[in-house]
Amino acid sequence: MAGLKTIIVLSFILAIGFLLVILSSALFGNYFPLLVVATFVIAPLPNAICSRCANPDDFIEEGSSSGFVDLGRFFTGFLVVMGIALPIMFAHCGIIQVPAMIMSIIGGLLIYGTIISFTMFFQESEDF
Amino acid sequence: MTRLFRIPLPHLPSSLAMRTAGVYTAGALFSLGFFVFLDAAVFSRVANGASTVHVTFVDWIPLICSVLGMLVINSIEKARLSADNYSYSGSGVAWKARLVLFMGFALIAGGLAGSDTVLVLKYVVPGHPWPTMWFGVANAIANALVMLSCCVLWVSQNIEDSAYAYNLSL
Repeated sequence: MAGLKTIIVLSFILAIGFLLVILSSALFGNYFPLLVVATFVIAPLPNAICSRCANPDDFIEEGSSSGFVDLGRFFTGFLVVMGIALPIMFAHCGIIQVPAMIMSIIGGLLIYGTIISFTMFFQESEDF
Repeated sequence: MTRLFRIPLPHLPSSLAMRTAGVYTAGALFSLGFFVFLDAAVFSRVANGASTVHVTFVDWIPLICSVLGMLVINSIEKARLSADNYSYSGSGVAWKARLVLFMGFALIAGGLAGSDTVLVLKYVVPGHPWPTMWFGVANAIANALVMLSCCVLWVSQNIEDSAYAYNLSL
């Protein structure tokens, strides 16, 4: 299966992402960066929920352009930028430190990237 | 649809990928604007130092106006705006839809103008130094970004797939 090596690499990247986020809060004794990873984990959810509710079975192949699906995409874009803007805001106001901000942004982006990659891989294998 | 302007407007690419990219970009811009303002509000609460000027409820009003306007504008079904086809219950719906659209535009423009007013009256005229001036500037930037997000969302929702529609109407 062509996917096995990819799944191992993706899990490795996910583990590094979690390590970075946990370090960013444990090294400085401040647990606000965990909000960032919570945001990045919640971020794919509006997209998934709205696309599942809008067309339970495929009636048009490409034209699922209803307002509901657009709302889910809007909220997903909102949450992804929130995951990047929230630690920058915390660091600017002095609530967390700058190294913690950098580590939590990178860790959060890695976690979000692996969630998206896993979703794409599972959708591809369902074609058969 | 006959042309409105003498110089023809550039045609936007009518592909579905541009439409989804536009919706994501609109969400990203809205979030950026919201968090720029929230940064100013949290800074005024946490890291203000010896200054006595804070972000109060007056600073929130323009942003509330802008967000309400954006909700109103993007909730309108665009087919109602054109009174060409009488299959949509005649011409009675078109002027109502246009009135609601005008109210939405007025709200969002009012939010932008209100944020500039707050910036000038509360921060520029008393002549505060830089960290305090950031509160007013962040308010204006946030409202401008919300307005830009509304424009991007409106334009991208008008992009139809080229197999089903022939032109792009604003």
